[in-house]
Amino acid sequence: MRRCSPPTFACWLLESLLPDPYREAALGDLIEEYALRIESTSRFTASRWFWSQACRSLPPTVWSLLRSRDCLISISIAIGVYIFMGTLKFAADWMISKLVAPDQSTHVVLAPIVFLTTTVIGGCVAARIRRGATIFLALMITITVAILIDVKVCSIPVPWWYQFGFLTLGPLTVIIPPTLFGRLKQQGTVT
Amino acid sequence: MKRGELLGSLEHIILLALVRLDGNAYGMIVRREIEERTGRNLSIGAVYATLERLEAKGYVSSFTGEPTPERGGRAKRLFRVEAAGKRALQISNQTIRSMAAGLKGRWGTI
Repeated sequence: MRRCSPPTFACWLLESLLPDPYREAALGDLIEEYALRIESTSRFTASRWFWSQACRSLPPTVWSLLRSRDCLISISIAIGVYIFMGTLKFAADWMISKLVAPDQSTHVVLAPIVFLTTTVIGGCVAARIRRGATIFLALMITITVAILIDVKVCSIPVPWWYQFGFLTLGPLTVIIPPTLFGRLKQQGTVT
Repeated sequence: MKRGELLGSLEHIILLALVRLDGNAYGMIVRREIEERTGRNLSIGAVYATLERLEAKGYVSSFTGEPTPERGGRAKRLFRVEAAGKRALQISNQTIRSMAAGLKGRWGTI
């Protein structure tokens, strides 16, 4: 039997977004079927199948989450954490401007560091309170960044990938680190 | 089941698959059974979201199996149809049969 492990990022995505009651079972099912498929097809075909399952599983999952009674609680937690993150970012920006007094170009370098640190902290706080809240938090950050890009909040010209980085890494840093820390913690408990 | 409340098409199909699999049903097996019989390639998320809904309605019950290495150490969640689920299936099947009765000759025109 060939050694096989499904695409790591797809696993992370599912582990982060699938709701608690069936996260483990659904992921286990996909890993089991992936192992069966890799025996009969190529690794590439099996990985493509795994990715398609991961992507197609998200809409029904989000929809069922929205329909559940827990949804309002998760949204409330996401809003609370979002305000906390805003305050944290404002305080960090204020401290940097007072201590370092950066010019616009230094600010362009420091802004992503502050932003991503804030989103990682926010994601971990939200996941600690309720795992489902991270989805809403990621959504709120995506919308905020998209609006800020649209209103051209950055006064000096920046390349497209700089803004694209905020738009993609922002939501991902909310979702992925809590899963990663959770997995590391789990491994630590096992060993 | 409330009067007039019919099963959704996916709920109906998944309940039928559970009855077919008779106590040995978990997400992946249900998904494959449906794919083999109907050609419908469902996502595992859609299967579990529907099973959760059916469990909340009291139509199915679930229990956790043993974790196995080929599943990355993750346990199976096995599902069973409850009496309320069987009743819902009967009502739904009966309703569809009643509505379809006498239409055999008209399938081509519908």
